[in-house]
Amino acid sequence: MKGASPTWLLTRRTLTQFPRNPIVVGFAVPPVLMMFVVFGTLFASVRHLPGFPTDNYYEYLAPAAVLMTTIPGIANSAVGLATDFQSRYLYKLLTTPASIGAIMLGRLLADSARLFITGGVVLLLALALGGQIATGFAGALLMLLIATLFAMVTFGVLTANLAIKTKDPAAVQAVFPMAFLLVFLTTAYQTQDQVESGLLRAIMDANPTEYVLRAMRDLMLTGYDWDAIGLAFLVILGLGLIGIPLTIRNYRSVYR
Amino acid sequence: MRQKGGTLDESRLRDLLSSELEPRGAHPRFGGNGTRTSDAIVVEALAKRYANGVEAVRGISFRVETGEVYGILGPNGAGKSTTIGMLGTLVRPTAGRATVAGFDVAAGAKDLRRNIGFAMQEAGVDELATGAEFLVLQGRLYGLSRREAARRARLLLGLVGLDAAANQRIGEYSGGMKRRVDLASALIHLPPVLFLDEPTEGLDPRARVAIWETLQRLNAALQMTVVLTTHYMEEADRLCGRIGIIDRGRIISEGTPAELKASVGGQTLSLRYAHDSGPDALARVRNSLLQRSEVHAVVASDGDLSVDVEDAATVAPELLRFLERKGAAPQALSIKQPTLEDVYLRSTGKSFEEEAVRAHHDTNGRESR
Repeated sequence: MKGASPTWLLTRRTLTQFPRNPIVVGFAVPPVLMMFVVFGTLFASVRHLPGFPTDNYYEYLAPAAVLMTTIPGIANSAVGLATDFQSRYLYKLLTTPASIGAIMLGRLLADSARLFITGGVVLLLALALGGQIATGFAGALLMLLIATLFAMVTFGVLTANLAIKTKDPAAVQAVFPMAFLLVFLTTAYQTQDQVESGLLRAIMDANPTEYVLRAMRDLMLTGYDWDAIGLAFLVILGLGLIGIPLTIRNYRSVYR
Repeated sequence: MRQKGGTLDESRLRDLLSSELEPRGAHPRFGGNGTRTSDAIVVEALAKRYANGVEAVRGISFRVETGEVYGILGPNGAGKSTTIGMLGTLVRPTAGRATVAGFDVAAGAKDLRRNIGFAMQEAGVDELATGAEFLVLQGRLYGLSRREAARRARLLLGLVGLDAAANQRIGEYSGGMKRRVDLASALIHLPPVLFLDEPTEGLDPRARVAIWETLQRLNAALQMTVVLTTHYMEEADRLCGRIGIIDRGRIISEGTPAELKASVGGQTLSLRYAHDSGPDALARVRNSLLQRSEVHAVVASDGDLSVDVEDAATVAPELLRFLERKGAAPQALSIKQPTLEDVYLRSTGKSFEEEAVRAHHDTNGRESR
């Protein structure tokens, strides 16, 4: 094939290199799977509380675990970007006919594919542990799409800008714990009614992750709640409108 | 035959690559092949001022003819990398204009990039890729088919002596190997113009000579236009058809190495004094020497005096006796043929090292403010 698009070539480059990167292989998926199983076992009794929406706690936990995979997972994309800065390979790419958009998109598409797969592994594990997805395969894909897009416009934007500004993979890795905060401060582990602290409930309401999680949980437990799904996409769109132009502007600044 | 602003004659170059880039004809110094048809690079009053206020390049102008090897020689901090960065579209000029292969560096950047290869000061390589994968991807980004990119990758890796390491990850390469694979990647699409930013910086002498030999062999075969920056006099002298000497963002001398050295005139007597000789003492010796008719010029630098004379071997004994009478006999005396360093010293009154230290302090001072 002659004249393959630079975006596809760079997507393939990133996909090919995932297995060679110990951070991506070792730290992105196994800890989340482990946490999913351990937390699912530890907090399983929560399902017996009145008003809990399911008898299978893994079903309840699965959407949060998917977010736990996609949000820190997208940061690996920024680590890769910072590594390309540090090795000066990015500057090499900038002297080729590949546009800056193709360079960005190439990495983003590869990482999206990776997040889809790793998020899918979490859902498969939930099924293996007796859970069910109310909306079936299509709903699972929609859940993964929401989780991936949300990860991109939140932590993806944050870490990409950090990578552009610092050009240092270690600086990007330093903010990884923030990814978990985004998910912990939601109804990831229990329903909002079960949270005693009023302050924490208020924080949950203010956390955009909560609205994405609610849409995903509906897809997992009950069915298509288009109001919740619409709200999730609105949150993603709003954050994207702020973060993406900022990232593009910063990315252009690599031309000194 | 290359065409201005267009692509290379693929069949001719494919033939060359098929014959593994065997040199064609005698080529003592690449660039002087008589095939020059037009200017490959035209730079007019090009300038760059960075956001922090540093004026890295201050309105430089020069032309590079097709097939020529042009060297930008200067100490660290002189503006070499910024200049080549502007020509390679990595740095945006703040004033002036430049065209490369017929394309404007600002308005025609996208087309320009198809016509250049760029090997970075610190090799810009993909450390997770193997050497072969890296070259194939580079080739494909320039529109080569997978098969052609793979074929050229094999040939180029062989040419730069990395065929045995083709399937090894670049992260495992030594510094010299990274430079060589970077150079090969800059050539994968056989660009009409090749930019090399400090191609041997940080390499040991053996690796440096290997890169020089590779470059000479490549240019002999492909006769592409090459612009290289360096602060190594020997490198510029050996590789470049013409040299522009840059100092504090301005080109202060330009010509062939022979022309530049001839401009210094005659020979140089190098007088070495004790480390504790103060600048005042050296200035007194300098003034004494300048009173003598056989002395053309005297430059003090790093505790040494460089004395320009017509025939050093003849005048040296008399000058030594003269200095002894003045109580200013040097610790050591040597006779030097003029070098490019002498050209720089003559033009600026300081050595490369002194200027590099000054530029380093300037930069640090600005950054700390």
